[in-house]
Amino acid sequence: MELLREILHPEFLLRNSVYVSLLIGFVVPLFGIFLVMRRMVFLGVALPHISACGIALALSMHVWFGDYDAMHGANERVLALVGSIAFAGAALVILAALERKSQGGTEGRIGAAYVIATATSILLLAKCPQAERGWLSLLKGEIIAVMDEDLWLGGCSFAVLTALLLLFRKELLLVSYDRALAVVLGKRVILWDILLFGLIGLSISISVLIVGPLITFGFMLIPPMTARLFAHSMRQLAFIASMIGGAGALAGFCAAYHWDLPIGPTHVAALAAVYLVCVGGKAAFRLIRRPVGDSS
Amino acid sequence: MSDDAVIKLSDLAIGYDRRALASGLSLELKRGAFIGLLGSNGSGKTTLIKTLLGIIPPVAGSFVARSPSGEKLQIGYVPQRETLDPVYLFSASEVVQMGLYGEFGPLRRLKAEARERVAKALDRVGAAGFSHRRFSELSGGQMQRVLIARALVSHPELLVLDEPTAGIDADAAKAVGELLAELHKKGGITILMVNHELHWMRQLATELIWLRDGEVVQGGVDELLSPERIEQMLQLQMS
Repeated sequence: MELLREILHPEFLLRNSVYVSLLIGFVVPLFGIFLVMRRMVFLGVALPHISACGIALALSMHVWFGDYDAMHGANERVLALVGSIAFAGAALVILAALERKSQGGTEGRIGAAYVIATATSILLLAKCPQAERGWLSLLKGEIIAVMDEDLWLGGCSFAVLTALLLLFRKELLLVSYDRALAVVLGKRVILWDILLFGLIGLSISISVLIVGPLITFGFMLIPPMTARLFAHSMRQLAFIASMIGGAGALAGFCAAYHWDLPIGPTHVAALAAVYLVCVGGKAAFRLIRRPVGDSS
Repeated sequence: MSDDAVIKLSDLAIGYDRRALASGLSLELKRGAFIGLLGSNGSGKTTLIKTLLGIIPPVAGSFVARSPSGEKLQIGYVPQRETLDPVYLFSASEVVQMGLYGEFGPLRRLKAEARERVAKALDRVGAAGFSHRRFSELSGGQMQRVLIARALVSHPELLVLDEPTAGIDADAAKAVGELLAELHKKGGITILMVNHELHWMRQLATELIWLRDGEVVQGGVDELLSPERIEQMLQLQMS
């Protein structure tokens, strides 16, 4: 309790890290639900890394253009944001176009995109030690030094993205669940898909820029998977996933601070622990409730 | 297009990726009819339905779907239930509500009157008792009733069903068949139904469309389902 009070104190040195963890924890699972429901979990793995590759390219451009100050000066965050959004957006457009053109092979393409993006990031940053250090700490989920600007960027962006997701929830769920019905009802399915994947792409890009791909991926997928074990409706699924994300973020931060561990991996470990406890608990509950003599 | 037709096909070719599965389809679907759509696997039955619904574009030719007032034809669609992913946590009632999303555009919430329509549609198909249960946990027959309620909730002039009795037990299939017969006779709805089982066609349909070898044959039930004609059609398909 004392630890919690210390962490949540307004004067706490790492308060921005706490706030950003809670923000990502509560909000990112809401976008992840659509990836889990549409059975596009692989995309949730690959997109953060592709987005991170965009950041790596933005940060290493001075190696070719020679203007170190322009790349690592005041514009660094803007460049990184542009790189992150551009790469995530381009990846979504290319993968969607390939999906429409040919049947099957999606997993292979996403897997290839993931490994190529990660390798490219490492190669791009090999000649710039400063960017490499920053990018590696982002990759490991080190979010100790979150700047005020990043906190504001995350807060405002996610407020808009979440509002859009909730406002158009009805249509986004319809085109995800039954595209044929959406067409029959006169909905412009492609436009709704663009909106949905635009929201997912932007949420991933901003999250990766602030906390890195590891935390983004963890919060995007593990809370919805855990919530799916208990939820009885889509509304409950969204609420429980968001609560698990928020609670996991707080628990992960407390554990990381108490035992001096890197924050990102601790967040993911906390979420994984919640998931395993829930799976085990649900299995045990079923076992207890099973009538005597039922061997099924 | 004659006044008593809901859909008119003019030299229509259907298929995917510009490759025609069937071509030269020219016919009319009469208002108030119960039309059975027959054909072997891969003959293009579902493709024809998807084309008429606007889900895929025609490869060539055209079709007109119009209500008597000249407005866009209101269509209710009942897909094969396997196409709906059970991972989504929708209740039966929520699935039926989706049938109203065409009327309730973005940013508009469903009002009490809409909820009443959903309840009435569920009641009409005998699904009121399980309206709050999760759709993916219902039996095949119950799911089919819910999907029919979803199609009916928007008061369609044409009801299109893709194999509504496939994969469900005999009692449930009988109940679905009786429900469709009642909707056609008492509700006066035009129905277009894909079905493999000839006995359902005999029992329910007033006319038939038979897709074979990329061509179409249209006629009365007695005419197309006479033993000689069935033999002829099957031999043609096997040859």
